[in-house]
Amino acid sequence: MTTKVDAVVGWARKNSLWPMPFGTACCAIELMATLASRFDLARFGAEAIRFSPRQSDLLIVSGRVSIKMMPVLKKIYDQMPEPKWVISMGACASSGGVFNTYTLVQGVDQYIPVDVYIPGCPPRPENVIQALMKIQEKVAQAKAN
Amino acid sequence: MGKAVDNQEERQTEGVGRPGRPEPDPGIVTTRIRARFGDTSVSTGNAVGCESVIAERDALLPFMTFLRDDPELAFDYLVDVTAVDRLRLDEEVRFAVVYQLYSHKHNRRFSVSVPVPEADPRIGSVVSVWPGANWLEREVYDMYGIVFEGHPDLRRILMPDDFGSYPLRKDYPLHGKGERDNFVF
Ligand code: SF4
Repeated sequence: MTTKVDAVVGWARKNSLWPMPFGTACCAIELMATLASRFDLARFGAEAIRFSPRQSDLLIVSGRVSIKMMPVLKKIYDQMPEPKWVISMGACASSGGVFNTYTLVQGVDQYIPVDVYIPGCPPRPENVIQALMKIQEKVAQAKAN
Repeated sequence: MGKAVDNQEERQTEGVGRPGRPEPDPGIVTTRIRARFGDTSVSTGNAVGCESVIAERDALLPFMTFLRDDPELAFDYLVDVTAVDRLRLDEEVRFAVVYQLYSHKHNRRFSVSVPVPEADPRIGSVVSVWPGANWLEREVYDMYGIVFEGHPDLRRILMPDDFGSYPLRKDYPLHGKGERDNFVF
């Protein structure tokens, strides 16, 4: 019986993700393109992007994160209710990218757990969509509570 | 080939108005400054198509106020304040704070460079002359550690408040001194 409930809840969750965009650089532009009509993230039920961590369950980190910005990102992650998932979009968020400099966090996964990494600089919207589908697989398998 | 070398020499003699080098014909700004402060107080040049001056930091405020208020000059707009770290360059004084000025009235640009020694990195703030200098001077302070005396609110503007170094100094390593791995929050 519980597996059935898990399956139903997982199915509902994965098709109604509420992303919280954390767009700090050029990757965010591709993220916007992903949301717009040509690529249309609404096809996956994840078009309701809100800058509102308390109503979100998917954090998309798209762009560079400096050591001054990292506390903000951490706070936003902490404010999101469980269950929550994180996409690290682009080379910068995942590893610092080409910005191997004094002020840039060399990968946000040092401070928050990341579920899916998207390579690229910037990743194309197709990559973002694939990452979202990977997240959906993960969400579908998650326990209901 | 020979011509190129000639040009280079020409540029050097014409270009930078350092003491000991031949100076170009004084432009209108230079003439005006000389008339007010005398011949010796400043050395002028014409480096990038606009006149420039190397000024002393001790008398900076009266000098800047003159540049703003003199009707022939009327440099009412402070375009930028930045600094140059001339470490390992052939310069006696390590830093230079550079002010880019613009006059709307005369459509004229002017550049003021003020040497600031490493041992005593202080300079007067020009916020009282151009209020727009506020954030610009904070940035120079943040990046080079040059203290602007009389600034109303001299805090770091880009780096975190507890950042210990001045990252645009040439002896600061590109990858930092571990700040990006050891910051607390
Ligand atoms: S990965 Fe490339 S496109 Fe994305 S934020 Fe970094 S530099 Fe910009």
